Amino acid sequence: MKSAILVLTSASFLAAQPAKAPALQVGAWKTLKYGKLGDVKIPDIEIVTLKNGIKVYLLENRALPFITGSALVRTGSLLDPAPKKGLSEFTGDVLRSGGTKSKTGDQLNEQLENIAASVESNSSDEMATVSFNCLKENIDEVLGVFVDVLTQPEFRQAKIDLLKTQYRSAIARRYDDADSIAGSEFNAIVYGRETPFGSEVEYENVDAIGRADVIAFYQRYYHPANIVLSVQGDFDKAAMKARLEQALGGWSPQAGAPPVFPKVSNVAKPGLYFGEKKDVTQTFLSIGHLGGLLSDKDYAALEVMSDILGGGFDSRLFRKVRTELGYAYNVGGGWGADYNHPGTFRIQASTKAESTVETIQAILKEIDRIRTEPVTDIELNTAKEKVVNRFVFNFDRPVKTLSRVVRYDYHGYPRDFLAQYQKAMAAVTKADILRVAKQYIDPAKFVFVAVGNPDAFKTPLTDLKLPTTKLELKVKEPDKPAAEVSEASLAKGKAILAKIQQAVGGIDKLKSVKDLTTTATAALGNM
Amino acid sequence: MRRFALFTFLAASISAQSLQDFEKRITEFTLANGLHFIVMERHEAPVVSFYMHVDSGAANDPANASSTAHMFEHMIGKGTVSLGTKNWPEEEKALKDVESVYDKLEGERAKGRRADKAQIERLEAELKKAIAKADSFVDQNAFTREIERNGGVGFNASTALDATNYFYSLPSNRAELWFALQSEWTARPVFREFYKERDVVREERRMRVESSAQGKLIEALLTTAFTAHPYRNFIGWASDIENLRAKGGEAFHKTYYVPANMSISIVGDINAAEMKRLAEKYFGPIPAGPLPPRLVTVEPKQEGTKRTSIESPAQPFVAIGYHRPENTHADDAALDVLNGVLSSGRTSILHKELVEEKKTALGIQTISSFPSGKYPHLFIYFAVPNQGKTVDELEKAWEEIIARVQKDGVDEAAVKRVKTKARAGLLRALDSNSGLANAFAATYMTHGDWRKIFADLEELEKVTTADVKRVANVYFKPANKTVAVTVQPAKGDAK
Repeated sequence: MKSAILVLTSASFLAAQPAKAPALQVGAWKTLKYGKLGDVKIPDIEIVTLKNGIKVYLLENRALPFITGSALVRTGSLLDPAPKKGLSEFTGDVLRSGGTKSKTGDQLNEQLENIAASVESNSSDEMATVSFNCLKENIDEVLGVFVDVLTQPEFRQAKIDLLKTQYRSAIARRYDDADSIAGSEFNAIVYGRETPFGSEVEYENVDAIGRADVIAFYQRYYHPANIVLSVQGDFDKAAMKARLEQALGGWSPQAGAPPVFPKVSNVAKPGLYFGEKKDVTQTFLSIGHLGGLLSDKDYAALEVMSDILGGGFDSRLFRKVRTELGYAYNVGGGWGADYNHPGTFRIQASTKAESTVETIQAILKEIDRIRTEPVTDIELNTAKEKVVNRFVFNFDRPVKTLSRVVRYDYHGYPRDFLAQYQKAMAAVTKADILRVAKQYIDPAKFVFVAVGNPDAFKTPLTDLKLPTTKLELKVKEPDKPAAEVSEASLAKGKAILAKIQQAVGGIDKLKSVKDLTTTATAALGNM
Repeated sequence: MRRFALFTFLAASISAQSLQDFEKRITEFTLANGLHFIVMERHEAPVVSFYMHVDSGAANDPANASSTAHMFEHMIGKGTVSLGTKNWPEEEKALKDVESVYDKLEGERAKGRRADKAQIERLEAELKKAIAKADSFVDQNAFTREIERNGGVGFNASTALDATNYFYSLPSNRAELWFALQSEWTARPVFREFYKERDVVREERRMRVESSAQGKLIEALLTTAFTAHPYRNFIGWASDIENLRAKGGEAFHKTYYVPANMSISIVGDINAAEMKRLAEKYFGPIPAGPLPPRLVTVEPKQEGTKRTSIESPAQPFVAIGYHRPENTHADDAALDVLNGVLSSGRTSILHKELVEEKKTALGIQTISSFPSGKYPHLFIYFAVPNQGKTVDELEKAWEEIIARVQKDGVDEAAVKRVKTKARAGLLRALDSNSGLANAFAATYMTHGDWRKIFADLEELEKVTTADVKRVANVYFKPANKTVAVTVQPAKGDAK
């Protein structure tokens, strides 16, 4: 009681202060009037084509004395030949680490780090990138390295062997982290474990990949007609254009046919997929099914629906599962769309083992509600206002506009896709939301992935009355008995490596208990 | 080498230019109540970022109430007396009733073996009812909804051991909304839905520590390395969290959220004079208060290597920590350089030898300041063994490398590289409103001047190879070392 009185006293003290002391502005937020938002500057992007056919996007941005560039290569892990799953990531990695005809990767490391510059190469599912970042006075030197890496890679065997060791280690760690297991198993089940979208790199794939494969993959996809380049930073456009023409315009290797990406065809078996992990106190959940494309006519309505259901700090799922029930710290999700293949509709949460079934039930109830009742006016208006008022943050840095334009072009989307989306969003009605929720979300098709310790569940999973499949959280070992492999993993090889790197880096994040952003303090304070 | 020298000169002049440029664009002022503001005008886009830095955190948690600072931080999402309620007078009364019942319940529980079980059950039921009644007045998540509706992005808060931060960005024409909401909350937070949020914080511990081998390992490292200092506990104990009380949060707020213990920075497309006017209007009325008490516990000197292990079926990790002094100590810059030479980039000693050449590690990292920097803390080494390699091999490899650094020192070129990267890294970090706002507020509170962001670089520049060798010898000593490893559970209890 004492404390409550204390608060009361200090509150009445505030109120009782002499008239000339300014009073605390309680409730002032209710009557604020805002002026017109200042103009958004749309940066001027110039598009040119080099003699050899490489399309180049140029953006002058003089805010800082840096220049960055990125070559987008039309390839990716979706194009991996099945027995050599991981080949595109291998190629992307060794392109840089394996050095060039004239310099080893280690020599490049030293040369670049001496001038605080970087040249990197990576591959993801539907694109690969080769990029650079340097102070403007080093542009000639760094552009030279970048072009050398892109056009004259040597793929030295030692770095291929190193990468194989790292892949094997990462695969061995695949099933260590319950959180990532729930996500990767969900993808594997929804997209199909045997398809390019859902498969993982296994030991046998790593064993099968050799230097000749890497070279062949490189030659097949890394050529001018298959590349677009974007360069932004502190330079003069005309001069940069001339510089690029000189450095890169003469590169004209034999071109392969434009790649054709696979389509998603999997039909997942609905039901509960349970992975037992006894060393955790939470159960990690992923619930949903296939999603759609960004170009779907209902995409805007689906986005608004998703936002109300599971986006942000005031969604229905956040309110119910976190705020009201206190079951989870993390809960949310929604409709996922990609450019050229369906994303996933996915709700994620993690909760103490005891409330596993109750959390799943609470999530299902909210999904049912959004499919059967119209949302409220407040919900619809809040969701719309949010998108309208946040719009400016799409333009707060010039580089965002550049990467958007490049991405839209790459995936064959209209350049004004963002404006179109904005317009479609403003027209969404409550009826639209109810319609798309009914039409696109189908609980009968749900895949429920749960990873946790069943000994501590208060309500048994059987109460969910779902067909249940046990997940074998064991790495596929071709030549050794599976039992010898310790606990096991997550998605594609590189994703694991990235995860491990993140884990190593993630230690730094443990400094702060609730830190969802990468702040600059680390960079500023710890160099 | 010639080009290198030229480059260093250029980078140095760039950083001096940035400092001058910053001086011109920054306005600083302190309100009469002691609250300090740093405002930087950046007119690149019509947006603005806000950062409030409180110079206290989890290290200031009261004894037996770990996670109080963190729990209080979560109250930011619960709103104020005017936002988040359907009827404040009624809600306030209901909240008081909750506390009164809870006090009675605690009073009965305190009797221990003499407690009346039936009475406890009765009071527990009464508490549940009182909480339900208070909850009936809540307009859930209204505070965050108001921010999101107005286009707020990146809304969040974080609790570190020495600091608590609150931050988000808004379209710049709505800057006043931040003043209105943040000042009202800072002056009069409401302990709304406190006991449900306590469950959420408890889930956070489950997620970050109890369900993560790395989280458990780091907790083991800290509790072993620190005997007395509060850095030993970075996220709070489960049982403490489960018993936190709203009145503990109130007391924490009263002690630590005094204007002179906080700093606010604002960066973006705003007018500094206008920000000053709004600061006076909204934060001016918050009464001044005495600075919080000093944290007096000093970690006793370590007398020998300490070791700890946690059982985990996950693949192994190892973490090693050495005690080192606070961030304001003269050796701080040399330790930063040592850290860079050891593990920053592909040319660093540990990466080259352990990851690339010997292939012992899948990944390695050293951090010169962990888990926080205001008080003496740790320099840590964290390593992830490759398949078939052991934590022992990684500890041995580390010992060999530091023995070599202690005996032979480090390369001049490597030290230069670290300095160059630090300069470029600083410049690159100057690119975002939110990053700058964070850096200004934090640097001001920890060092008394935002210019220390740049001064740090100058200190780094002065570090010599001899300094690096010296600090490696001073701090990397067996008696100063704590090792934490994961081990496989004994066969039979693995599952």
